Amino acid sequence: MEEAVKIGLIAFSAALAIGTTAIATGLAQSRIGAAMAGAIAERPELTGTSVILVAIPETMVILGFVVAFLITALKTVK
Amino acid sequence: MIEKMAKVEILGLKDSASEAIDIIHDLGTLHIEDLSERISGMKNKRVTHMEIDHDYADHEASLNNLRARVGDMIRDLQPDVDGMLPEDVQREYKSIWSENVEAMISRIEKMLREVERDTRDTVERKADLIVELSRLEKYAPIMSKVQPLAERVSRMEDMASIALIIERKYKTILNYLNEEISKVTNGECEIISSDVDDESTAALVVFNKRYLKQVHEFLDVQDVNQVRLPSDLARKPIDEAMAEVRARIAQVPSEIDEIDRKLGQATGKHSVTLIAARNAIHDRLEAMDAVPKFAQTDQVFIISGWLPEADVEPMEKALTDKFGSNVILTVIDVRENHGAEEETPVALQNSPFTRYFEIIYLLSKYPRYGTVDPTIVFALFFPMLFGLMLGDIGYGLIVMTIGWIVHRKYAQKPLANMAGYVMTVGGAWTIFFGIVYLEFFGDWLLRWFRVIREVHGVEDIHYLAGTANSVFKYPIGRIEGFTFMLAVCLIFGLIHMGVGLVIGIINGARENNFKHSLEKAGLLSVLVGAMMVIAKFVLGWWPAWLTVIGGLLAVGGIVAAGVGAGMGGVIEAAVGAGNLFSYARLIAIGLASAIMANVANELSREQAKGGAIGIVVGAFVFVLLHTLNIVIGVFSPAIHSLRLHLVESFGKFFEPAMVRYEPFKKTGGEE
Repeated sequence: MEEAVKIGLIAFSAALAIGTTAIATGLAQSRIGAAMAGAIAERPELTGTSVILVAIPETMVILGFVVAFLITALKTVK
Repeated sequence: MIEKMAKVEILGLKDSASEAIDIIHDLGTLHIEDLSERISGMKNKRVTHMEIDHDYADHEASLNNLRARVGDMIRDLQPDVDGMLPEDVQREYKSIWSENVEAMISRIEKMLREVERDTRDTVERKADLIVELSRLEKYAPIMSKVQPLAERVSRMEDMASIALIIERKYKTILNYLNEEISKVTNGECEIISSDVDDESTAALVVFNKRYLKQVHEFLDVQDVNQVRLPSDLARKPIDEAMAEVRARIAQVPSEIDEIDRKLGQATGKHSVTLIAARNAIHDRLEAMDAVPKFAQTDQVFIISGWLPEADVEPMEKALTDKFGSNVILTVIDVRENHGAEEETPVALQNSPFTRYFEIIYLLSKYPRYGTVDPTIVFALFFPMLFGLMLGDIGYGLIVMTIGWIVHRKYAQKPLANMAGYVMTVGGAWTIFFGIVYLEFFGDWLLRWFRVIREVHGVEDIHYLAGTANSVFKYPIGRIEGFTFMLAVCLIFGLIHMGVGLVIGIINGARENNFKHSLEKAGLLSVLVGAMMVIAKFVLGWWPAWLTVIGGLLAVGGIVAAGVGAGMGGVIEAAVGAGNLFSYARLIAIGLASAIMANVANELSREQAKGGAIGIVVGAFVFVLLHTLNIVIGVFSPAIHSLRLHLVESFGKFFEPAMVRYEPFKKTGGEE
């Protein structure tokens, strides 16, 4: 039972790590994406730059993923 | 590498100006400096803009007119540019260019008259047919709704009908029309309607022929949109007219095709001349546009600009051979001129391998003159980081093959050509890291070499070299060896950012900006020091004295960054260390791709257990998921590798150029 609670908490923590960062990234990308869509309409040459700018907040979810993966590794720690 | 440039001033007797400009235009190496600003800032008003003489101005208007006409003609006739031999176009171009402006204009005008004579009727007929087709196609959806109703009406001899088209949101107006037309026709009318699409509704007003005039008058007053058929069909019964419209819709495209075929034959002989004329006009006008950028006095003309150092001598020789001492080229020493680097146009001269990686400058400006060109850094690290993320032999082979095909096929299209080459090198690195991870479309090779073994239903890992507890083992599994790979990626980040900071130090030294170099050295010191301290927590055997040195380096680096760039430097030192963790994406994205590949394999393996149909479904799942993974696997690592360059690495040293080297030159028949 105690083991099951431990695994459950680990899984919940990992989900929290990736879930919250994914939401944050989504929110940031939605705003940057909308702004860049407007910018591209005015200046199409910004297309390449916009791809990079939209990718910038992905750092959050990527680090969230790394942390989640490290947390799941805890289940093997006795 | 940034090409070394020389600033030159060309002075000569005014009579020679026109010929000197032609020679410079022919050589095509001088990036012209616009002297307008300098002239307007001069107290000495004897120096003015060079002006085009009156005759030239007339020619300019004629050439602009011809440019528009030739452009229209090319648009109408759409000559097959790819099918032309470049030598033919160049020969024609040289022939046109060799004539003086006046003769050139009359020659092109004559050619245009000939082309117009051969093609005008056909082009006009084609335009008419296109308009007709577009108009008829508007009737198609309406016809499909109205025709069945109209056919019923046509059987009633004393009844007439009018088709209407109404915006769907105003559909309720039909009730009003019904009431009003009933009044006009004493109740001998009916309206039948049907929705055409989301936006419109077609309606047919059926009424006694006796009231035809009154109903038309009423509808005109109400400004209702009647379906007006082409004039030649308007008098026919609606069902007959619509059948004819349908027949025309089927017939017109084949008529257009026939005209295109005839046009192709008629224009074939003019295609080369048209393209050569367009290029010649473009070059002539460009030469005229350049004139106001030059300066003159009563006696002399002055042309200023930059050109690669290697091209100074050929230009000097060409001018001396033609004009002797009447035109003089002087190289200006700009070393003492602060800010000259900003004005100097930048041209890159890279080796054949790195040249394709100049694609990065589609997203960023060129590096400033006098700084280090980071193309080589990009050429080395971009495909390497891409491969580190994707890391799969099978995927690498596919990416490499597609990249090479694109590179070869689009040799004439610079963007696709460069992107194809970059993909090819990225594919090669993907194969290399695929070997390191022993991944081939996911875990196939790991199972083939029995690295992954299933014992009593539980999967176990047996390394080909080393054990699970060894620091270095083969293959390096990205899932099992996540922590190890995370450390490797951070070391890659340290090297990548470190290279950027070293370039920053060199840039500072080249610009004699000691503080700039000190700041970058401080940042580098913080990075290295921080890694040495972190190593103590990760590696048990890491000696204490190295940790102490690391701590000192970090603190010293912060101080140095502060001295070099003030508070901004101190903040940058902290942010710089944070940037290092951004390289964790290298393993995170790679891991996601590896897991997705394994899921594709697992699903297809499970399906394949279900007999012949299962094998087919399994193969379908395998192809579908791996294709999706490759597409994501190409885009995502490419974007993130780019980002690591532009934000984390280039951000440490890159200073953008204000001006690109764009020499004043002819298209030479190839615009």
